[in-house]
Amino acid sequence: YPLFQRGGPQLRIFRPNFFMLAVRPGVPQPEDTVQFRVSMEMTKVDIRNYLERIYNVPVAAVRTRIQYGANNKRNHKNQREKKPDYKVAYVQLGQGQTFQFPNLFPEKEQDTETRSFDDFRSKYMEKEKQKQEGDPRRGGVPDWFGL
Amino acid sequence: MAALGARGLLRPGRRWFSQTEPTAPSPASGPLYPPVVASLTAKSKAAQQRRRELFKQQVHEAGTVEEKLRLYGKLQRPKYMVYPQTFALNADRWYRSFTNTVFVPGMPPVAAAAGAAPEAGGAPAVGAPGAATSPGAATDSGAAINPEPAAGALPPLDMGELRSLACDALLQESFYQNKKRPFLYRDQEHTPGPFLTQLVSTLAAFLSGRNPLLAASSLDLKPEVNYYWQHGEEVVAHGHRKGRVDPVRFQIDDKPHLQIRVPKQLPEVVPLDSNLGDVPVINHKPSKLPLFKKQYENKVYIGSKVADPCCYGHTQFHLIPDRLKRERLIKARLEDQIEVVYRSNGIASLFAWTAAQAMYQGFWSEADVTRPFVSQAVVTDGKYFAFFCYQLNTLALTAETLKNNPRKNICWGTESKPLYDVVEDGNVKDFNDEVLLHLVRFLLNRPKEL
Repeated sequence: YPLFQRGGPQLRIFRPNFFMLAVRPGVPQPEDTVQFRVSMEMTKVDIRNYLERIYNVPVAAVRTRIQYGANNKRNHKNQREKKPDYKVAYVQLGQGQTFQFPNLFPEKEQDTETRSFDDFRSKYMEKEKQKQEGDPRRGGVPDWFGL
Repeated sequence: MAALGARGLLRPGRRWFSQTEPTAPSPASGPLYPPVVASLTAKSKAAQQRRRELFKQQVHEAGTVEEKLRLYGKLQRPKYMVYPQTFALNADRWYRSFTNTVFVPGMPPVAAAAGAAPEAGGAPAVGAPGAATSPGAATDSGAAINPEPAAGALPPLDMGELRSLACDALLQESFYQNKKRPFLYRDQEHTPGPFLTQLVSTLAAFLSGRNPLLAASSLDLKPEVNYYWQHGEEVVAHGHRKGRVDPVRFQIDDKPHLQIRVPKQLPEVVPLDSNLGDVPVINHKPSKLPLFKKQYENKVYIGSKVADPCCYGHTQFHLIPDRLKRERLIKARLEDQIEVVYRSNGIASLFAWTAAQAMYQGFWSEADVTRPFVSQAVVTDGKYFAFFCYQLNTLALTAETLKNNPRKNICWGTESKPLYDVVEDGNVKDFNDEVLLHLVRFLLNRPKEL
């Protein structure tokens, strides 16, 4: 890049690794608060601009913290394995909007085929278990025990 | 030794009484054995309950109010610091849930009617204020609704004079006086602060002739008001006390700009057990507001110590700081939070003040108030004024006492209205008389006996 002097054109382009991942909060959050995992280099101002300009989401307040990833687990060579650190952002939406993290794995309604197959499978497992057990009249005593 | 030996041989099987004749055993004057109660030091729920009962008994039996306050705030644990002037979003809803308060927009009707009586004489003659000038009003002191008896003998309030007082104070601070430019983020203490002090002190002095309570009052400059309370329960998350159920502790440390304390209490606005609305229930932890915990002295203070004769509150004046100014909130596109700032300031400050006044009279969460405590507040940023009136009906906010407590505290509040539009060339444009009248009504508020 040519040497930059005051008043000259700014020719460098910076492309930081800015990403935001909406996550389900571990602890219940108020209705207007959304929890994100963001890149470690993003600041509160960056997060606000990102949401407002790219996604047109009105942002009232942003609070961030850095979660330290633990370093206690050890691998087969007894070396410590570090879980990566990440930054968490709590964004309060403006204009009275609310957000509830959706249920990504809803229980699907089973059709008759799957239901009857499940019934058949459970009955089969019960029969197998009963075959494994011995005579109920022996009261749980194994059949090799005896004279 | 010989006597002992002789006694043993004397008459075995018979008791040796000091008196000669064996009489029937006297009836038991009291229980022979001490009562069977749980231990005090064991690690059991019964022992914990007994320790709590012992603490409550000690506070009940404390001789002086200072001793009660000392025992009440003796145990220090991490507590949430509640700031009346906060940037947190929708803080007034959270504060209402912490203090068990109902917010009613507008002013209470009794205060409006009582204030309508000493109306401006400068305004064209209206029927009701016209009666204030009649000397006959002085005779009907028995009428409860008619508050003019004291004012009936005085001339009606001159709106022009009050307006000139207010404009004088405003012009002196902002126009006539040569001040240097304010330092960065110190605008509020440069002009609106001194203006408010000047306005309140001149108005209070002017109106003390009409209101004998003001004449006996005490005006504090930048006093401190503190209150410590517990509300509800939570499970401790981290630390050596993890898993235990603890009360949620709060502390308010407030520094109003001005405060008027009086020796007699303001009258109640509505009866003690009235229900004017609902208290918001928030099931999240207060730390989500955001609110932060710290451990320090549990202070309960109204602005003066217990022995001061002016132990009841009349009016507080709050100045909004620079970081919560209207312009900053509008620039950050948080226009709906402007009123929230005023409301949260009014609710939190007034709750702390009235509750501390109640504690100074010996009430606390186990000994609930028997009469409501009423105080007023004006929250301003120099130009916009918002008026609040608070009635404290209950102090019982701990988990056990809150379960069966039907009483709620009530806060009336107005929206913020401008007092003037702009100050130019020695003139105050668009002076708003209503706001000034409201302020005068607040200052003239007094108990019915006076």
